[in-house]
Amino acid sequence: MIFNTPATPSIGGVKGIDREPFELFLIHEARLLDMRQFWDWKDLFAEDGAYWVPATPDQTDPYKQASLFFDDAQLMTTRFERLEHPRIHVQSPPSRTVHMVSNVIVEDADEGAGEYLVSSTMSMTEYRQDMQRVFAGYQFHRLMKSGDSFKIRLKRVNLLNCDSAFEAMAVPI
Amino acid sequence: MFDGTPDAINDLIEPGRVHRDVYTDPELFELEMERIFGRAWIFVGHDSQIPNPGDYITTEIGRQPVILIRHKDGSARVLLNRCSHRGAKVLNDASGNAKSLICLYHGWSFGTDGACLGVTMPEGCAADFNTKDFGLSTAARTGTYRGFIFASLSEKGPSFEEFLGPMTANIDDLVDRAPDGEILLDAGMHRYFFRGNWKLQVENVLDSYHVPFSHASTVNKKGEQFSRREGDKGGAQVVDEKKKKTSDAWKGRRSYVVEFGHGWTSNTELKDKERSSPAWNAYKDALAAKVGTERMEEILTPEFHNTLLYPNTSIMGLNIHVRVIKPIAVDLTEVNVYPIRLKGAPDEMNFGNIRLLNVTHSAASFVQTDDLEAFRRTQEGLRSTQSDWVDISRGMGEEQTDSHYNATSESAMHEMAIRAQYAAWLNYMTAGS
Repeated sequence: MIFNTPATPSIGGVKGIDREPFELFLIHEARLLDMRQFWDWKDLFAEDGAYWVPATPDQTDPYKQASLFFDDAQLMTTRFERLEHPRIHVQSPPSRTVHMVSNVIVEDADEGAGEYLVSSTMSMTEYRQDMQRVFAGYQFHRLMKSGDSFKIRLKRVNLLNCDSAFEAMAVPI
Repeated sequence: MFDGTPDAINDLIEPGRVHRDVYTDPELFELEMERIFGRAWIFVGHDSQIPNPGDYITTEIGRQPVILIRHKDGSARVLLNRCSHRGAKVLNDASGNAKSLICLYHGWSFGTDGACLGVTMPEGCAADFNTKDFGLSTAARTGTYRGFIFASLSEKGPSFEEFLGPMTANIDDLVDRAPDGEILLDAGMHRYFFRGNWKLQVENVLDSYHVPFSHASTVNKKGEQFSRREGDKGGAQVVDEKKKKTSDAWKGRRSYVVEFGHGWTSNTELKDKERSSPAWNAYKDALAAKVGTERMEEILTPEFHNTLLYPNTSIMGLNIHVRVIKPIAVDLTEVNVYPIRLKGAPDEMNFGNIRLLNVTHSAASFVQTDDLEAFRRTQEGLRSTQSDWVDISRGMGEEQTDSHYNATSESAMHEMAIRAQYAAWLNYMTAGS
């Protein structure tokens, strides 16, 4: 089940797999968000890929409960067209963000099929119009090998405060 | 400058305009908590959130912490979440199940009806101490309609039936869509806050005038909003593609008001005949199997867009949900949005409702976020003291009596609904004083 990822990462992970390609991929993904290259970020996803930020800890299924984000390719397109719209008031001025990705672990690997589950810790500091806030959490990427890189089948971000009240969010975390 | 007397309060509302203090004065906010949220019928929760004895949720009426709990006799009870001893909140979790309620501080225990079951070290109690006098306070009155549980903290005022009045039709419109005739608020909730007065969100609920402007970024080059309902291929034609101005279809929307500040806006015109998807079609079949094809068609003919149960609850008919607006401070408000599952509907249909609500009303949604920006900027703009008045005069004098709904009606591009809200506001704020 694609959405079935642990709530918190394991400590050890799979031994004997070089973490560097995964780390570089996650750093690249985070950079694209910081640079607001949202269409390039979307292209990292597989055609049936999904971006999911649950609204409760331990949420098992995005279809059964409310989520902060649950975007498929079509919703990403709508989201990013809106982000390019000259009258998206909640991004006027736009957010500036800095992502940090660390503690990368390969949780599960099917080398034959080229499928991996990778966990990491993340933070995103966001600044917009005199206000700065921090999002932090664990994230999980279900990746599949694609040429010399990967495609994202699922990016799930488990925010520490996912069930708190938020001020408006406009850009992916 | 403001003394809370009826005269001083009356001076804040004039025909077609509202004094800025209504949004910015902390003393007036305190008075609203006492006179509106301390008097009105307030939505506290839904039967489906507390199905079994001992099930509870914790929430607020105004700023007062309350517990909605299922008593062992099956009735829903609304208790003040405040220990009768020294005042600590007795229940701390957002939801759970409890056979008895035990205060963390000194271990006093209470039943699910609030009765004091026991006091620790009773030998220390004063001679005339009687546990009967030390139950948790309960809301003065509670009322339930088709699972929607309301409470009033005041003994006085209109009955629950009088308060809801014709708005039962708007609740029916939602609940009847469930093949089993029941809805479930068990799919989590969206929580967000904004740095603005609670009434900014309330006024927005029946304001169709803002949509082409505030929500410009949700409208594509053809003038159409994105799809918001399961099975739809497109959304509302907000802007006329050729004229590049608000479409006649959008401008043709109506708003309706009845007593107590309640009201609704007419349906959003969509391509209902073209609506189709496996989930939608299976849902129609499930509903028709229960109520017959003719009644199914009647139920699924959209009638209402947004409904406001003043002061702080809205029900949306388009992409269905219940929204509760919680005042925290004069310039701080939290909003809770509950997805709705239709009992007896195929899972795929309910999945669609939950998924599309993320898109319109999560804290990261395409629609609500621009509203939150508008509320924040309004609160900041109202710091200006050069002008004391906020204008709500659009369409004054054009109100019509609508015999079909027995309501007052006007173009939804106008501000009749907001004026009706302030008439109700004034009634609450000056009644009995």
